[in-house]
Formats: sequence, structure tokens, C-alpha cells
Amino acid sequence: MVIADYLLAGLVAMLTGLDRVALVQVMISRPLVAAPLTGLVLGNPLLGLEVGMLLELLWLGRLPVGAAIPPDDTQVAVGATVLAFSMGQMLDLVGMPMVILAVLVAIPLGKFGQIFDRLARNVNDRLAVAGLKALSDGNTNGLERRHLMGLISFAVSSLATACVIVLIGSVVLFYTAPQLIGAVRDTGLSLQYSLIIVGAASLLGTINVNRSISLFCAAFSGTLLVLWMR
Amino acid sequence: MKAPRISWLTFLRVYLRSFLLQASWNFENLQNLGFFYLVLPGLRSIYGDELSRDVQRRQVTYFNTHPYFAPLIAGTILRMEERLHAGEDVAVDPDAYKKMVMAPFAAMGDALFWGGVRPLAALIGLLLASQGSLWAPVVFLVLFNLPHLFFRGAGLILGYVQELRAIETIQKCRLPDLAIRLKESTTILIGVLCAYLSFKGCEHQDISGAWGFVLLPIVLLFAWLSHKGVTSLFLVLLTTSSLLLLALLF
Repeated sequence: MVIADYLLAGLVAMLTGLDRVALVQVMISRPLVAAPLTGLVLGNPLLGLEVGMLLELLWLGRLPVGAAIPPDDTQVAVGATVLAFSMGQMLDLVGMPMVILAVLVAIPLGKFGQIFDRLARNVNDRLAVAGLKALSDGNTNGLERRHLMGLISFAVSSLATACVIVLIGSVVLFYTAPQLIGAVRDTGLSLQYSLIIVGAASLLGTINVNRSISLFCAAFSGTLLVLWMR
Repeated sequence: MKAPRISWLTFLRVYLRSFLLQASWNFENLQNLGFFYLVLPGLRSIYGDELSRDVQRRQVTYFNTHPYFAPLIAGTILRMEERLHAGEDVAVDPDAYKKMVMAPFAAMGDALFWGGVRPLAALIGLLLASQGSLWAPVVFLVLFNLPHLFFRGAGLILGYVQELRAIETIQKCRLPDLAIRLKESTTILIGVLCAYLSFKGCEHQDISGAWGFVLLPIVLLFAWLSHKGVTSLFLVLLTTSSLLLLALLF
């Protein structure tokens, strides 16, 4: 992986990070989109799709409501894709087991995203004060400028999160991946599917619908029976 | 009633600015600067470049709503400002109106878009992704953004044309009921996805598909734990360490 690849991945980290709160919100920040996009700029979109699949449901039930800041699944997705690609090449470990290891290392590091996001919003507190001051001076353009400067805080926060995930993740994977890759391979599909299923269960647990359990059980049983009887 | 002063071009600018509503999101006043930034092209059309202290005061107070509902509120506010500028009476002060509707609209938007449309679109995308299709992200984006982009645009026009009656129209749309239907559909798709993965796992292990039912109580247990506040991170660590330990031991 060359410097240009890291720069492109950084650009994706900022763009997708901005989409989380500050800009547009068309959901390119979701892992199912952000990871394949990162994979695309690195030349391997399928690798990104595998990462996105594992991460998409994990925090989907955590709503970005008011001042609540959910874990940064966007940068976890971007960082895990970069880790799977770069460390896979470096250690000559490719395929799903390496993707799983990269995702497992990146998931806890998503906590850094919450810290950086909080910092960005604190910086914006000062921007808001400056914006209101500009307005009281009759300078509406100054307020507009301060408002748009908030994008920089969010972009820097996203980039910082992605960098921390990639840097710490690279060190952890360098020392642990060669030892763990065999065990991950031995788990077969179990580990891969368990991540998606944990995400599905978390989402099911957070859906506030009266009949959710009966609907889930009926859909699960019906689908499994159809597949089994085929 | 006087002819509207706000041109379609200005409406377009307000619509586009709605995508930047949360650019300076802050803990103190949340979206206050964003809302002012959003309505500013309309205010300039009405009042010119010199905005009075009263107008400024009304539009930079504390504001927080669902970002997709903000254009709806902006449309109503701009119509109210037009009326005030023309010397007409308005039933509610624009600032009071914002304070009155922002929380209910936030709750509606959270339930409909974050809790309804997004998980449903994500699960459909995920089912496609499980087949290895690179169309999965595209399908997800299209399914989510068609209602999203329509809602922003329609909301702005509805708010401007109907003013306070827009609240009644939104009530008639029964969005909370729609959110519940979407959540129910999401629940069904979660069941389909889990069953599919369970069956694929059995196939991979070369055992009968009936063993797939073993997964049902496990998912229900995890869902219950999640409902009780156990984090996804803990569940991932628990599952992963158990599976890796089993693989290392046997």
C-alpha cells in the first residue's frame, strides 16, 4: 500500500465522517457504504463489502439523537478496511480470516471516535459564540463563515479517529495476526456469521415494537423451514 | 394576501442549505446557527441584507429537531416572516412556533428515518451483500434516500404553502404508524437474515439444516441482553473469545 492509497483512504474517512452529522446525511457514513467505498479507492471493493457486512448492524440501533454520540462505526469500517488491506499485504495473510481480525481489532478502537467527536462539538461551541458575536455586529456573512467552519472540526475528528484505528490496529495486528489467524480459520463461518448475528440481535433488542419477538420467531422459523425442505 | 417575495431559486438555496444544517452542531444551542444559515437566503429576500435585531433574535435561539424535518419548519417560518414584513398578523410568533414543533418533529423523524427507514434499507442491502453483490450499497442508498430527499423538498414547500396547517397535514400522514410498520418489516427481515446465515452455517458444516434452530434461542438471549443495556461491544467480545477459545482448545 503506497502513500497515495493512505491519502485517498483519509479523504474517504473525512467525507464519510462528515456525512454522519455535519454534511448531507445521505448515509454514505454507514459501514455498508463507507467500507466498500474505501475498498474501491484501494482497488478492492469486495474486501470493503465484507467489512461493511460484518459491521453494519452492530450499532445501527444506536440513534444519533440530540447530544448522544454513538460509537463511530463509520471510521471503524474505513479503518478496518485499510487494516485488512494493508496488513494483509504486509503479513501475506489474505481472505476472510484477515478481514475478521481487522474488524475485531477496529471495533473497540471506535471508542476513540466518540472522544474526538465530543472534542469537535466543543470546538463548535466556541465557533457558535463567535458566530453570534458576528451577527450582533451586523455581520451575517461572518456568522455563515463560522457555521461552515464547523465542518473542519468534524472532518478533522473523523480523520483523527481513522488514523488512530489504523495506527494502533496495525501494531496490534502485526504482533497478533500471525498467531491468531489459524484459530480464526478453524472457526470456519462461525466467527464471521456471529458478528452479523450479534448485530442483528442488538438491533432486535432495540426495536420498540410490541410483536417484535413473535414476528422475528415466525420469520426465522418460516425461512429456515423453507430452506431446509428445499 | 400579497404575492410571495421568495423566488423558486431562493427556495432551492434553502433546500440545498438544509444539507448543512448541522455543520456547526454544538452542545450549547445545538442547531441554532444551522437554522439561521438555512433560512438566511429567504430572510434576505424578504428584508434585504439588513436584518433587524428582532428578526435576528427570533432565528438564532436554541434549536434542535430531526435534520430532515428542518426544511418543513423553515418553510413555515419564512411564510410567517413574509406576513410580519407585510404588516399582517400571525397566529404564533415564529420563535414560539419553532419551540412548539421542534421536539415533536424530532421524535417523529427519529422514529421514522433512524428507527424505520434506515434499518429496513440496511437489512435489504445486507441480504444482497450476503450474496456478494456490490449493488448492496447502491440499493441501500437508493432505498434510503428516495424518501429522505423527497421529504426534505416536500416539507419545505408544504411548510411554506400551508403554514400552521402543515402540522395538521403531517398528523394526517400518521408517520408514527408508518414507522411502526417499517420496524415490523425490519424485524421480519432480521428473522430471514438470521435463518439464512444459520442455514448456510449448517450447510458449511455438512449437518442437517434443522440444527439451524439452535440459533433461535441464542439470538433471543442476545436481543434480551441488548434490551437490558448490554453493549454490542461486550456481546462481540463474549462471542469472539468463546469461539476462538473453542477453536484453540479443540
